[in-house]
Amino acid sequence: MKVVAWHRSGRVRLPRGEGPWAWLAAGSVSLSLLLLALLLMLLATRGLGHFWPSDVDQVTLADGRVLAGRAVKEAPLPDDQGMERLYRTDNRDLDGDIWEWVPVPDIETLSQPRDLVVLERRRWGAFIGRLVAWLPAQGERREGAAAWDALQARLAALDRQRDAIARLREESLLPLARRLEAEGEHPRTVRALTEVQARIRALHEAMAGDVLILESVDGRRLRQPVEEVLGAMRPNAMGPGAKLVAWGDGVWRFLSEGPRAANAEGGVWPAIFGTILLVMLMSLVVTPFGVLAAVYLNEVAHQGRLTRLVRIGVRNLAGVPSIVYGVFGLGVFVYGLGGRLDQWFFEDSLPSPTFGTGGLLWASLTLALLTLPVVIVATEEGLARIPDRQREGALALGATRLEMLSRVVLPMATPAMLTGMILAVARAAGEVAPLMLVGVAKLAPQVPVDGDFPFLHLERKFMHLGYHIFDAAFHGNDVQAAMPLVYATALLLVLVILVLNLTAIFLRHHLRSRHGSLSRY
Amino acid sequence: MPKSSSSPLLRRRLRQGRDRLATALITAGGIGVIAAVMAIGVFLVVEVLPLFWSGSPEAPQVDLDALWQPQTYPGLEAPVHRWQPALPDSDPGPRFGMAPLAWGTLEAAAWSLVIAVPLALGAAAHSALFMSRRLRAHLKPTLELMEALPGVVIGFLAGLVLAPWLERHLGLGLTLLLLLPPGLVVGGALWSRLPARIRRWLPLGWSALWLVPWLLLLWALARWLAPGVEGWWFGGDLRGWLAATLGLDYTNRNAIIVGMAMGFAVMPSIYALAEDALSGVPSSLSEGAQALGATRWQTLWRVVLPAAGPGVFSAVMIGAGRAVGETMIVLMASGNTALMTASPFDGLRSMAASIAIELPEAAPGGTHYRLLLLAALLLFIFTFLVNTLAEVVRTRLRRRYRRLGVSS
Repeated sequence: MKVVAWHRSGRVRLPRGEGPWAWLAAGSVSLSLLLLALLLMLLATRGLGHFWPSDVDQVTLADGRVLAGRAVKEAPLPDDQGMERLYRTDNRDLDGDIWEWVPVPDIETLSQPRDLVVLERRRWGAFIGRLVAWLPAQGERREGAAAWDALQARLAALDRQRDAIARLREESLLPLARRLEAEGEHPRTVRALTEVQARIRALHEAMAGDVLILESVDGRRLRQPVEEVLGAMRPNAMGPGAKLVAWGDGVWRFLSEGPRAANAEGGVWPAIFGTILLVMLMSLVVTPFGVLAAVYLNEVAHQGRLTRLVRIGVRNLAGVPSIVYGVFGLGVFVYGLGGRLDQWFFEDSLPSPTFGTGGLLWASLTLALLTLPVVIVATEEGLARIPDRQREGALALGATRLEMLSRVVLPMATPAMLTGMILAVARAAGEVAPLMLVGVAKLAPQVPVDGDFPFLHLERKFMHLGYHIFDAAFHGNDVQAAMPLVYATALLLVLVILVLNLTAIFLRHHLRSRHGSLSRY
Repeated sequence: MPKSSSSPLLRRRLRQGRDRLATALITAGGIGVIAAVMAIGVFLVVEVLPLFWSGSPEAPQVDLDALWQPQTYPGLEAPVHRWQPALPDSDPGPRFGMAPLAWGTLEAAAWSLVIAVPLALGAAAHSALFMSRRLRAHLKPTLELMEALPGVVIGFLAGLVLAPWLERHLGLGLTLLLLLPPGLVVGGALWSRLPARIRRWLPLGWSALWLVPWLLLLWALARWLAPGVEGWWFGGDLRGWLAATLGLDYTNRNAIIVGMAMGFAVMPSIYALAEDALSGVPSSLSEGAQALGATRWQTLWRVVLPAAGPGVFSAVMIGAGRAVGETMIVLMASGNTALMTASPFDGLRSMAASIAIELPEAAPGGTHYRLLLLAALLLFIFTFLVNTLAEVVRTRLRRRYRRLGVSS
């Protein structure tokens, strides 16, 4: 007893040192923690920092060139001539490129003029420069501060009009078009359709016509139609409070909008929606089946050699690579079941497949299969933790096995089931490889849920946060430009998974303490 | 009422009937679910078999030699291994040599184990023997979170952040590698020279935390030393030296990058299992050794590790299984070039990555499709065997501990 206390307290100093290996072992823990912290910090700073409207530099070079942009990074010049700095100058329509390397020794003056504007545009990316004049379709030309105020007011109006168009399209145009397709040319439908189209066209016309005269810092002029402009700000003239508001607005738009410019700009809303829907469908499938299998293995099956073997087998399936499940999903669900379903029910649309190609249903089934071992193992652990006297007590009071299970055992195992489900969800949310085989899409602007019968379209392809990262980071035209958004998406995915895992850890802890106290009496 | 008089019997019948029905349903459902999960292996075998038996025109037979031996292709002189499934059918025809894929898979797994095993075992040894209990209770969930980091995120950081960084700072990377182990040992030596009052503020049990600033200091030192090291030994240009002296071309995304990223991903699972095995050793053993005057490290090396050896081995096996099947990290960090070179600075292409890229484009039922399924089958068999082995070893070990615990 004394020895134990002596060892645990760790206060007694041993005569000799522990030698070098002990320090290397300690160092490996610190190194892992350091790497993890670095990774999370990198994601957090780069992902969240992207939305901060940082100041725009106006740079005059020794050869007289002027440019404006945001400094991104520095790198040493060859032959030790100092550093060179990368500026993101945007203005793709003027320069053909959005990056500019500038040797730092060549910089003559560096300033942050308050009148520099940054416009976010639908085409050509952002514009950095000066606002010269505002030319509305009706009304008079304005310049200077008046032009800026007019632009702000117009942009707010444009936002409302865009919303109105999107609503009309969602609520009126698309259902009418579908009805036209389904019921044939009914005069009333056609009339309603032309009416809606006319309203949309009128809104579009109301948006068009206004023009901005812009000037880049080196004096090149540009006529910019205002309906292409999504947002405008003057970061150098903004205080910290205004910047914080703009930052929050940027984060919100990232979360709530769809992607633009081949996934290199815009938001990730369809990907968030697709991920959540996929995971929800998966847990709907996996929880009942996993619990069923666990109950069978632990409560019903004869506890012999075979059951033990099956248990080991199920446990090992959790270690089978996810891509193998993807292959199974593609071969059995997509080509096998999907092909059959197409032949039976959707023959008229063949050869273009309905269920015979990857889609939401097959992806969620594949993920359910992938996470089934997780749920089975977690539930079984919970069931095994319940003391046998609880079961015996229930049986002794005259309960049948079903009553014993449903009234005594399963309620006690609920936290274990929840833990299993959350672990399954956390695992599924991060899996991308199998989805690449069974139905994730690079770009699927149509969310799989809409107002059209049957409301949930299981055959549609969907977007996914993880695949969005892969696609934007590796298949874009300008990876450097897409990097901030990839960081932000990665941060979002990691946060979702961390929250899910923390919930599971908390639940498991809760479960242990509860049953720890239970087995004592 | 007749209902009340006959009800006890009827009710019992009803309850028993319901019970039997439910038991039958649970049995059927449970067996069905388990069969569905197990069907993966069956499906893969059934789909792959035609490669070796049937000779139907759309899926011609493939002989094993052609898959695994170097082949002579028209236009090339010596026999080579090639995996080029997408070549047009007309002239050269697709080239199916599985060897580069298998090589890439094993190479990636081997490098990731080289990184992960020392880190994980060191961490496990430290947290089982030296670490304070409070810190340990926090460390385990933290590393569990690290295990849950999705492969895409790690792959993205490895392929687009780490790879370009290391390419630019190769000298710094090498200096860090050379400096860290001796730096840690020097840190330990300095610590033992400290006055006892300060040492009580920095106990060994919390060294995992207070060594982090020391590591940062070492990193700063490495940054300062790196140009000197590169200039002194490698003529100022490590990449050029590698190419000129060793004949190794440094590719941007290479096996080392994959190894680092996947090592980071695999390390927590090895750690968790190895730590379980080490801390599961009955404390009577280690207390006996320490009572006889052994230091804690000697106890670990001579007593605990031999007792927990099988458990540590199974932890490494499970790590190997994960590394072999990990898809996204390899896909994003390896460059995906199907090469068969031993150079750690060349790219590689693993089976899992090949499946992910090529299977959606392969025509179902064709040779390419079936070969990719064969790759999946190999992955399945390998991981299943490795995991089973690890599980069996672990169960044996647990039984042994129980015996040891009882006999003491």
